[in-house]
Amino acid sequence: MSEANVFEPKIVAYVCNWCTYLGADLAGTTRLEYPPNVRIIRLPCTGRIDFNLIIKGFEIGADAVLVSGCHPGDCHYTAGNYHARRRWILFRELLDVLGFDLRRIHFTWISAAEGKKWQQVITEITEETRKLGPYTDLYANGAAKSLPVAAPAPFKTRTLAAEPELREHCHKLLGEGTVKVVIGYGERGPAVVTRADDTNRLVWNTRCCSNLTTYVKRKEIKALGKPAVVVKPCDEKSLVVLEKESQIDRKEIHVIGMACEGVGEPKCTFCTARTPRFADKTFGEPAGPEPMASPPPNRFAALMAMTPRERMAFWATQFDRCVRCYACRQVCPMCYCERCIVDKNRPIAIDPAPSRKGNFAWGIARAFHLAARCVGCGECSRACPAGIDLALLNIALHKAAQENFGYDAGVDPAAEQVIGAYALTDKEDFIR
Amino acid sequence: MSEAISQAALRTLTAEWIATGKLVAGPTRVKPDLVLYSTLHSADALLLEGFVRPSNSIKEFVFPKQEKLYGYRIQGNRVELINNDAPLPEQIVIAARPCDAAALPILDHVFNWDFVDEFYNRRRTATTVITLACNIADESCFCTSVGLGPVSERGSDVMLFDLGDHNYEVYCVTEKGRDLFSGKTEKSGQTVRTPATPGKKFNPETIRSFVSQHFDDPFWQEHALTCVGCGTCAFTCPTCHCFDIVDAGPSAGNARVRTWDSCQFPIFTAHASGHNPRPAQGSRQRQRILHKFAIYPEKFGEILCTGCGNCTRNCPEGIGVLSVAMEIDPIETKHG
Amino acid sequence: MDNVYEPDLMEVISVRQHTPDVKSVSAKFLDPERARTFSFKVGQFGIFSAFGYGESTFNICSSSNWKDHIDFCFRRVGRVTEALWKIEERDMVGFRGPYGNGYPMDAWKGHDLIFLGGGIAMPPIRCAVWYALENRADYGEITIVYGARTVADLVYVDELDKWAEFERVRVLRCVDPGGQTPDWKGEIGFVPHVFERSQVKSKDPIVLVIGPPIMIKNTLPILDKMAVSPASVYTSIENRMKCGIGKCGRCNVGPIYVCKEGPVLTMQQLQALPADY
Repeated sequence: MSEANVFEPKIVAYVCNWCTYLGADLAGTTRLEYPPNVRIIRLPCTGRIDFNLIIKGFEIGADAVLVSGCHPGDCHYTAGNYHARRRWILFRELLDVLGFDLRRIHFTWISAAEGKKWQQVITEITEETRKLGPYTDLYANGAAKSLPVAAPAPFKTRTLAAEPELREHCHKLLGEGTVKVVIGYGERGPAVVTRADDTNRLVWNTRCCSNLTTYVKRKEIKALGKPAVVVKPCDEKSLVVLEKESQIDRKEIHVIGMACEGVGEPKCTFCTARTPRFADKTFGEPAGPEPMASPPPNRFAALMAMTPRERMAFWATQFDRCVRCYACRQVCPMCYCERCIVDKNRPIAIDPAPSRKGNFAWGIARAFHLAARCVGCGECSRACPAGIDLALLNIALHKAAQENFGYDAGVDPAAEQVIGAYALTDKEDFIR
Repeated sequence: MSEAISQAALRTLTAEWIATGKLVAGPTRVKPDLVLYSTLHSADALLLEGFVRPSNSIKEFVFPKQEKLYGYRIQGNRVELINNDAPLPEQIVIAARPCDAAALPILDHVFNWDFVDEFYNRRRTATTVITLACNIADESCFCTSVGLGPVSERGSDVMLFDLGDHNYEVYCVTEKGRDLFSGKTEKSGQTVRTPATPGKKFNPETIRSFVSQHFDDPFWQEHALTCVGCGTCAFTCPTCHCFDIVDAGPSAGNARVRTWDSCQFPIFTAHASGHNPRPAQGSRQRQRILHKFAIYPEKFGEILCTGCGNCTRNCPEGIGVLSVAMEIDPIETKHG
Repeated sequence: MDNVYEPDLMEVISVRQHTPDVKSVSAKFLDPERARTFSFKVGQFGIFSAFGYGESTFNICSSSNWKDHIDFCFRRVGRVTEALWKIEERDMVGFRGPYGNGYPMDAWKGHDLIFLGGGIAMPPIRCAVWYALENRADYGEITIVYGARTVADLVYVDELDKWAEFERVRVLRCVDPGGQTPDWKGEIGFVPHVFERSQVKSKDPIVLVIGPPIMIKNTLPILDKMAVSPASVYTSIENRMKCGIGKCGRCNVGPIYVCKEGPVLTMQQLQALPADY
């Protein structure tokens, strides 16, 4: 019996069929009392629990979400919970950056024999959530702070010394038929050149922003034959990831690496290399980036210095501007799904409407599908016509992958990927 | 002698409009290198100089990125429709560019073609457009190539002309405009600064005949090789109006919502059977040009483009209507 | 506010399954005033909804002379049709329409009519056939050739029998070679060939041919040999639609909006269109 004005939290629990669900069942058959606030959703395995489901739980009104499955080593499908655990490690970081209230998201291992544990966990979570109150902060407005952004330094377009060598090399490649198409930079943006005579259209200057590796996956380009692609050191890392994911055969692409002198913000914030490492041919000498009038503020640190509430208000302001043009997706080399999850409609997993909720869902899906795959080329932030600081989300996951797994996407072709692999020693200090 | 207003007085007026509950929008500096039309919460946020034009358009005030068409309630096998009749606030757009304002009468045609779209019409009626004539242009502007110009009055209720010294000449084009500004201006003898007039860059008639008669020309596929197929051009364009109607069920609030869509998306014309009439990016790029320069003029007598240059400036890969047009029919003229 | 996107509510009267993935539905307007004043031209289409899932475009495949209900027929192939597959009698669906240009049945008066259809293309032919039979005196000889890949893919098969009972009506049904059952009594062959073999003699007929592109491609030379002008050969084209009222910019084939200047086109018009469908 509860008094009329006591807050009754709604808890959504995603549980695995083989352990936790049976554990909850056991609690029932052994007549263990626990609060009725939990709605149980049964899935075959925690490995199947898409991060999207956790967000959906909140979207439909949950005040807390629980995810529970078999103990490590006990998974009915052998390794499903290991994969889940690894994903949760990264996903919590993303939720933290977005300003979700992590006190409302719980993970636990409960076996089929642990009816008592189920009773305890549900009781604890219900009481904790009751004290926290209803989750009214979700996607809420607030006095959103903006991040400190450096005033753009005057940026001069300079043709770089390696341009003639680049043109000559491409002329030779096409003339001798070594490649059928060169994907390079032109006057206004990327240029696709198929004839040796047209290689004088290619340029190499400080405005060569685009990550051209995104073109090697497009079917219209593939149809032209073996390509050569001009890459900066940041773009080159995409090729490492694409090869790891079996999207390209490195031997079937001629990679022309250009030592980089910087192309300006927002891309150069994430610069980690100025010399290509894996190219078939390299041109230019890195002369260091253009001197900035003032060092760019560390936007990520400034974001994490805010409270979760402030962070969520910040992202709400950002995502309110999103029009769902999917430029962020289309420019990304790693977004190569034949049909993106947001374009699928059976079921509609992510609301396609540009509401605040739908835009958060899309932003989360995009960032998380790139977890530990993004190489930090900054194209998403550059391409966004609404100026949303998308790369910050990718950077958060990049840091999480580095800190937790020592992994830096696109750097070492031999390093084992983060998502899709697991270790028995993956941390679980956040799991009850 | 003309009527004029100082920038300070204009901001005071803006503050009054905001205070009386009107939805007031204008250019704001969202980031150091990004200006967007946004709802103004204070008159100080209104940006009046130091940029060519915002990166978005004012169409979102008459054709928002999402519009709830109606809701529904399902109980068993009974369905009840719930109409979206919420009253609209009065809207004022300040410091629109002529290329934004001109888009509105152009869009009027399609939204009233046989079937009348009241969602669009009532927002149109509720909106007053105060246009700031241009005195700078950049290499992406081409309004003069499509029959407009930096002082074009089309679609505007009020025209403001920069007199220098933070003063503006006020010319009220319509009754709506006069209602807003009567008694708020002062006489002035200053002359308007010469507007920037981008020279004509192409002949739209040549584009129309090329896309109609060279439909299968390999030009389309070649030109689109660097297009990545996002919706940036369509969504930042003042005249693009293609839309989708989405029903995402209970988790999205049991409503049918109209959202912006782009003919550049690969699944725009994909049939459920798997067949896609426009499977390649080149055919999709061609469709955009065909719609703007051939289909719309044929049906409604107007080009579906105001030469604002947003598509070119915003395209992550530097393509846009202008780059297509310049490849089809470049006119080498000196800029005015 | 007059909401041009808001559907009428309809109640399902009956559902009929024709093939493993094709059903047809008869439905009536909930609002008696709408039911009383509603009219359409055969060949027009409607946008039908499953609430919670979306809208989908189907031809109104009943005769415009039938006043108490309308029919639509669909293949289970996507989100909306999957939802429609589950509806039963007394369920509610939405309807927007009638949209499109319809068949010019008045202009067809006095002519022989030849209907050629393949597979799921029967429904948009069915409405015209019933209309013509109900206005029998207005039209000349009627020939119907309808075929599908296999016997199990034929739609509205029982109505073919009914049509054959009308005077001066010739009905031929066929299946692709290999698609027949042991007790199949109809023709075996593709629709264009069966039509050719039938040796229909007609001066200045109107032909309505609807089916997959390959079928239409093979039919045209035969009509040419019969000296039928492309301006007398009609078809109904499909395209992806959303608004149905010419605004969303999705359904155009070159300069023609299928929802406004179509879906009914003559071959002369179709052949002038660019390859955009």
